[in-house]
Amino acid sequence: MNAGPDYLHEGHSLRSWLLSTDHKRVAWLYLLSVTAFFFVGGTAAALMRLELVTPAGDLLAADTYNEMFSLHGIVMVWFFLIPAVPAVLGNFLLPLMIGARDLAFPRLNLLSWYIFAVGGLFTVITIVAGGVDTGWTFYTPYSSMFSNSNVVLAIVGVFVTGFSSILTGLNFIVSVHKLRAPGMRWFRLPLFVWSLYATSLILVLATPVLAMTLMLVALERLFGIGVFDPALGGDPLLFQHLFWFYSHPAVYVMILPGMGVVSEIIPCFARREIFGYSVMAYSLLAIAMIGFLVWGHHMFVSGQSVYAGMVFGLLSFLVAVPSAIKVFNWVATLYRGSISFETPMLYALGFIGLFSMGGLTGLVLASMAVDVHVHDTYFVVAHFHYIMVGGMVMAFIGGIHFWWPKISGRLYPEFLGRLSAILIFFGFNLTFFPQYIMGYLGMPRRYHEYPPEFQIYHLLSSAGAATLAVGYLFPLCYLAWSMFRGPLAGANPWHATGLEWQTGSPPPAHNFATTPQVTRQPYAYDPTRSREDRA
Amino acid sequence: MPDSRALRAQFDDLGQQREAAALGMWVLLATEVLFFGALFTGYTVYRLAFHDAFVAGSGHLNVVLGTANTAVLITSSLTMALADVASRSGSRRAVIGFLAATAVLGSAFLAIKGLEYAQEYREGLVPLNSLVFSYSGPDAERVQMFFNFYFAMTGWHSLHLLIGIGLLIVFIVLAWRGRDRVRLEGNVRAGALYWHFVDIVWLFLFPVLYLVR
Amino acid sequence: MEKQTVRSFVFVYLALIGLLALTVGSSFLELGRLNVFVNLAIAAIKAGLVAAFFMELRAAQAVVRLAALAGLFWLALLLGLSLADFLTR
Repeated sequence: MNAGPDYLHEGHSLRSWLLSTDHKRVAWLYLLSVTAFFFVGGTAAALMRLELVTPAGDLLAADTYNEMFSLHGIVMVWFFLIPAVPAVLGNFLLPLMIGARDLAFPRLNLLSWYIFAVGGLFTVITIVAGGVDTGWTFYTPYSSMFSNSNVVLAIVGVFVTGFSSILTGLNFIVSVHKLRAPGMRWFRLPLFVWSLYATSLILVLATPVLAMTLMLVALERLFGIGVFDPALGGDPLLFQHLFWFYSHPAVYVMILPGMGVVSEIIPCFARREIFGYSVMAYSLLAIAMIGFLVWGHHMFVSGQSVYAGMVFGLLSFLVAVPSAIKVFNWVATLYRGSISFETPMLYALGFIGLFSMGGLTGLVLASMAVDVHVHDTYFVVAHFHYIMVGGMVMAFIGGIHFWWPKISGRLYPEFLGRLSAILIFFGFNLTFFPQYIMGYLGMPRRYHEYPPEFQIYHLLSSAGAATLAVGYLFPLCYLAWSMFRGPLAGANPWHATGLEWQTGSPPPAHNFATTPQVTRQPYAYDPTRSREDRA
Repeated sequence: MPDSRALRAQFDDLGQQREAAALGMWVLLATEVLFFGALFTGYTVYRLAFHDAFVAGSGHLNVVLGTANTAVLITSSLTMALADVASRSGSRRAVIGFLAATAVLGSAFLAIKGLEYAQEYREGLVPLNSLVFSYSGPDAERVQMFFNFYFAMTGWHSLHLLIGIGLLIVFIVLAWRGRDRVRLEGNVRAGALYWHFVDIVWLFLFPVLYLVR
Repeated sequence: MEKQTVRSFVFVYLALIGLLALTVGSSFLELGRLNVFVNLAIAAIKAGLVAAFFMELRAAQAVVRLAALAGLFWLALLLGLSLADFLTR
């Protein structure tokens, strides 16, 4: 089956990694860099949680605290969540899943990592130079006129990284259109590929608006070309519209690929075909599309016209429909399945619960009247962390476990895997569930001190964060061990059906010995037979 | 005779490769539409709010030079399109000639634009940090907003054109050095799409900035 | 065939120059608010000509035309929904 050495043994020099255009090696470059950024952003979060253990502002000064939450947001959004699943798992798997030898533009793919690295470098310089205190949203006129922190440096970092997202999205779109193997019709594509396609549409069409908007803020700070300057009649809400035109769809960049991962894991460990395949595919596209129509729900209390607010609120309810369809279909896939609870499945099941929770509280926030009460409170913080962390991070780690045998050719220790999955699930809920309550009771976000009656919630939340941190460190250690010492996995340890499992683990440099011919749907599982005797 | 490097390993044949390249370019251009779209949106919002000030500001631009520049850019699009055709019929000398003509016209556009900027600078209409924006008519702040947009929009457009000229020079050198025909054709095709796009942006910028009534 | 292409390019070029004259000329007429629409309509026609002929969108694959449309459609979303706020305050 194997043709030539696998991609990990195609060369051992540093150069052979840093200049490789092999999508699998580029995925590794991304994996290492987003992991590093995850722990940078995580450190900022840990410091904040530590500060919030007591009501007084004793550990971090107010300014430092502002820099911490800005850093946490910027790093986690642009340097972890957005690239995590698309640029790591997507890069590795998309060509394998469509039966291609590589992406359509491999050199562009490598270039996009370098652009990402340059953007990351600017962000690191921002941190070293003393940070930025605008929050990840860079709202004007504070960011353009008043902040004394390194706004321009931070903006350049995000701006540059934006181009890496655009190039990744472009590469995925063209690859899915032009590089599918013979017989791989659109409705035979794995749902993970569908989710990457939907994600790429957002990356390509929304990112440029953010890039231009942030550039205008930088122009205003550097050259005084102030299109947001209130003294000239500039409208701060214009910035917010442009910003959220990108940043709301970007939320879907941070969840759609996670949905794709879960749609691969659930059928495999329930041994059942995914329920309602085509509806699942359409709902991914629908979420990407409707996601562009709802951005004004971030601006209900900003002075936006009430009529626009009504439209945005209504459309926001609409986006819940395809999301709910997905949840129902995952659950329906489980029904009468032959379910086993390996680590990836634990993460996937956790995803369904936590995503539902985050999604439903999103509906609460989309109701204008309620939003007035909970806007800018911990309720909002809890809501989007249930989506981002409870959803996307769970899906990312679950996906890493699911495809680890393919990526590394080795197995990870199953017991430790399950232990850390459970630890993360409980740690997560302990961290963020109390935030719903204190937010509803009126605790605003972004303060480093607070009235003592909120202390119990903050204490619980900080305890949860500590648990979560341990949970995250576990996989880092045992996966690193498994990379070199883990038992060999074989081509298809899960007895899964996707094309990626039909080549060696790790795959050869050009993925397949011969171009695969696709003749069936992606999820041909049979629940009446156990995994082992199916093989 | 196309050399073996013309077909990249991930493609089965040149047709597939060409289609992929065309789609890639068009997706990039869709991205660019939104990139400029952010500027156009901001401009539209303010123009609707401060209509009279925008008319007044627009009145201070040089319509003659603007019109001439539009004609220059349209002409450069024609020569670029002809370079594209020539690259397919394989006449290397014609390709180089048309590419060079396009680059010269593009540079002429930038030169005229520079002339306009110089004129606006002399009139004190450049709202840069250290310069004094000395507009004496009514509603000076709103007029300054117009000029902020004028410089941001034409500035970004000129930057795009500068990148285009750079690309053309690279292609000319490649053609000169005898680059394989299939690969050169691909380069020129992609460059042409980009060039025409930059032209289209200007076709909107011109009436939107110069002809406000 | 190439000769035909070249000839069509020259015609398109002449049309573009003619439209440029038209748009500048129309701006000297007192049409009130109509001036904007005339200008934008002419610009759209010019852009359409460049895209259809010079960029060969006429003969392009369906997915390429879709990509071009997507850019415009999303621009319309950005403009439309932003103005939904600014025009109803």
